[in-house]
Amino acid sequence: MKILIVEDESRIAKRIERMTREIYGDTLQSLTHINTLNEALNFIDNNTLDLVLLDLNLNGEDGFDLLTSAVSHSFHTIVISAYKDQAITAFEYGVLDFVPKPFNQNRLEQAFNRMNVRVRTTTQTKYLGVKTRQRIQLIPVEEVIYIKGAGAYTEIFLTDGKKELHDKSLEKLEQLLSSSFERIHKSYLVRISEIKEIKVASGSKYLAELKNGAIIPIGRTKYKDIKARWF
Amino acid sequence: MSLRSFLSLLAICSLILMTSCSQSPIFKEHETVFRVGDQQEWASSNWNDDDWQKRLKFVPDGQVFWSRTNIEFLIERESLREYGIMLQVYGEYEVFWDGVLIGKNGNPGQEELLGPEGKLWATFSIPSHLAAKGEHLLALRTSLYHFPDHAGIDVLKIDYYDDLLADTVIKSSYMHLYAGAFLIASFYFLFLYISNKKAYSTLIFSVCCFLICALTVTVFSKDYLPFHYSIHVIRLQFINGSLLGIVFLIPYYFSKQFPFPWRKPSLTLYLIILIVIFILNQHAFNFNTVSMVLCMWIFSFGIVVHGVYKKVKGARMVLMTLLLSMGVFLLTSFVISLYAGLGLILLSMLYLLALQMKTARLAYEDSLVQSTRLKLELLKKNIQPHFLMNTLTSLMDWVEEAPKKGALFIEALAKEFDHFNQIENQKMIPITQEIALCKTHLKIMEYRKEIDYSWEEVGIEPEQKIPPAILHTLLENGITHSLPLEDNSIRFKLIFDSNTECKSYTFLTFAKIANHTTSKEDGTGLKYIKARLTESYQSKWDLISEPTDQGWKNVIKIYS
Repeated sequence: MKILIVEDESRIAKRIERMTREIYGDTLQSLTHINTLNEALNFIDNNTLDLVLLDLNLNGEDGFDLLTSAVSHSFHTIVISAYKDQAITAFEYGVLDFVPKPFNQNRLEQAFNRMNVRVRTTTQTKYLGVKTRQRIQLIPVEEVIYIKGAGAYTEIFLTDGKKELHDKSLEKLEQLLSSSFERIHKSYLVRISEIKEIKVASGSKYLAELKNGAIIPIGRTKYKDIKARWF
Repeated sequence: MSLRSFLSLLAICSLILMTSCSQSPIFKEHETVFRVGDQQEWASSNWNDDDWQKRLKFVPDGQVFWSRTNIEFLIERESLREYGIMLQVYGEYEVFWDGVLIGKNGNPGQEELLGPEGKLWATFSIPSHLAAKGEHLLALRTSLYHFPDHAGIDVLKIDYYDDLLADTVIKSSYMHLYAGAFLIASFYFLFLYISNKKAYSTLIFSVCCFLICALTVTVFSKDYLPFHYSIHVIRLQFINGSLLGIVFLIPYYFSKQFPFPWRKPSLTLYLIILIVIFILNQHAFNFNTVSMVLCMWIFSFGIVVHGVYKKVKGARMVLMTLLLSMGVFLLTSFVISLYAGLGLILLSMLYLLALQMKTARLAYEDSLVQSTRLKLELLKKNIQPHFLMNTLTSLMDWVEEAPKKGALFIEALAKEFDHFNQIENQKMIPITQEIALCKTHLKIMEYRKEIDYSWEEVGIEPEQKIPPAILHTLLENGITHSLPLEDNSIRFKLIFDSNTECKSYTFLTFAKIANHTTSKEDGTGLKYIKARLTESYQSKWDLISEPTDQGWKNVIKIYS
C-alpha cells in the first residue's frame, strides 16, 4: 500500500499518519506527508500511489484543482476536510469517501474499507476526470455509454462517439460509478439503459447490442446475474 | 398618494384656476393727450384738446402738466354701487372726473418745496352722478419732479369701488400665503442645513425659497405700503435682484443634481449673461425680468434634458414640470406664469430633495446592515469550520496523545474565545487588547501547526485604538499563507508609527510564502479589514499588502 497525505496542519497530518500506520500495519509500503499544493501535484505526477488522503484547504487555497488532478489518476482519493458542505461536490468529482474533521480512527478505517467494497453506494459520481493533452477535463458521467478495461487503463466511450483514456482501472471505476452501470464482462462496464438487446451467438456466446450499434460481449457468469436481474 | 401624482394634480389645478379668471370689460379707455402748463379749465370735459401732444418726453423742474383721457362706460352702473378708479401714475397729481376734483395724491407743482407725499398706486371713488353709461373725461394735473421722463398713466382700472379694493386685498393675501409657504420652507430647510452642513442642496433650496418669499412680498406690499413714486426704482431693483438670485440658483441646483461636463464654465457664462441683462437697460425692468426668467428656463431645460438623457433619477419628473411651467407661460400672463412657474419648479426641486433624502436614508440603513454584518463576521471567525474543525481535530489528538498539553491547548482556546466575547460589540478596541488576541491566537496555532511562532512589537502606544480583529485577520492570513523558515519558525512584527499626517501600523511576516502567485487581492480577510477601516475612518485610510524578500508586509495607514 502506497499512501500520500496532503495536509498543511502538522498535528492533524501526524494524526492521520499514526492512524494509517495502525490500520495498515505491515502492508504499508510507503507513507508520505506533503503540506503544499504544488509539491503534492508534483509528487502525484511522478510516483505510483494507491491512495491519496487530501485536505481541500491548503494554505488558504481552494483544493479543487488538486482534487480534479487527483481523481484523474489511477489511485483512489479520500478527502479529509473541515468543510462538510464540500462533501457532495467531492463525491461528484469521484472521490472514494469524504471524512469530515474532527475524525477518529474508526471513521478513517471505514473510509479505507471502501477500497475493498465492489460498488460505492453513497452519492453519485457526476464527473470523470480525464487527462487530455494539456489539462484535465471533467467529463459528465451521463455522457458515458460504456467503459472498456485495457490493462491498467480504461477506455471510456462517450455519447458523441469520442473515446477517452482513463488512468483508473475498471475495478476502481466500478466502485465509483453508481448502479446504473453494470459489469457485464470482465473487460466491460456498461450503462444498463444503453443496452438495446441481448443476443445469443453460436458457441453459446452472449452479446449485448447497444443503442449506438456497438456490440459488447457478456461474460458467461455475468449473463446469469443479468438475466436474473432483468428477466 | 405619491409625491409624483400629487405634483401632477397640483399643476393641473393651478392651470385651470389661471385660465378661468377673465370677464367682460365695463369701460373703454381712449388715448391720453398731454400739455405742459396749468389751467383749471383743462379739467373740463368740453375743452378742445385737439392740439395737445400724444406724448410728453420730458417735463423739467417739476413743472405742472395736464393729461386728458376720454373714458367710455360701456354698461349701466348698478344702482347703490359706486365706481372707483385705480391708477398707477408717476408723479404727484390731482384727479378730475368730468371737471370735478375727485382726489388728490401729493402736491403737484410743489414737490420740491413740500417733499415727497402721496403714493404710486391710488384708488379714488367716482361720484355716482358722474358715472352714467357713456363718455367721461379723466383729467390729471400732475408734476414729475423725480422722474421727469416718465409722464403718462401706467395702469388705469375702473370697477366698482369696493370690488377694486376687495380684489386687491384678496389677491394680496393669497400671494402672501404663497410667500409664507416659501418662508416656512426656507426656514425648515435652513435648519436642516444647519444640522447637516454637508447637504448644500438643502441650503440652496432654502435660499431659493427665501428669495421667492422676498420677491413676492416686495411685489405685493404695494397694496398696503404707500410707496412714493420716487422710491419705485429702488423697489424694482430689489425685485430684480431677488429674481437674479432665484434664476441663478435654480439652474445651479439642477446642475448639482444632474451633473454635466463643463459645469463650472457653463455656470459662469450663465451668470455673466444674467448680470449683463441685469445691468443693461436699467430702467426696462419688465424686459429684464422676462429675459432673465426665459434664460433660466432655457438653461435649466438644457441641464434637465441632459439629466434625462443620462437617465438620472427624477430628471423626467423635473422635465415635465419645466414643460408645464412653459405651458403656463404661453397660456397666461407673465405675472401669473412667473409665480405659478416658480412654484412648480420649486416643487420639482423639493421632489429631488425628497429623492436625495431617500437615498441618504437608504445609505444610512445600508451602513447599519453593514455594521451588523461586520459584527457577525467577527463572531463567525471562531466558529467557521476551517478554524473550529481543524482546532478540534488537533485538540482531539493532543487529548489522546498528551492530555496535559491538551489541557493547556483548551486553556488557550478559552482565552481566545474570551477575547472575542469582549470585543464582539465594539467598533474600536485598544491596541493592547488586539495584540493580546493575536498572541493567544498564535498559541493555538502553535498547538495545531507545531511551528515556533514569535511575536514582536515596536513603538506601540497603548492608548491607541483600532477596529477589532483587523490585526488578527492579518495574522491569520500570515499563518495560512506561510511556510516556516529552515528552523521551523515564523516571526511576526508589528510596528507603530505616527506623525502629524497619519498613523501607520506595519505588520511584517518573516516566513516562506506558500503561494506567491495565487494570493488573491481581495480574500474575505482583506475585505473584512477594508470594511472595518471604512466603517471607522470613511475614506481616510490606506491598506498596502505586498510580498517582501523575507515574507509579507501589510501597512495600514490612517490619515488624520
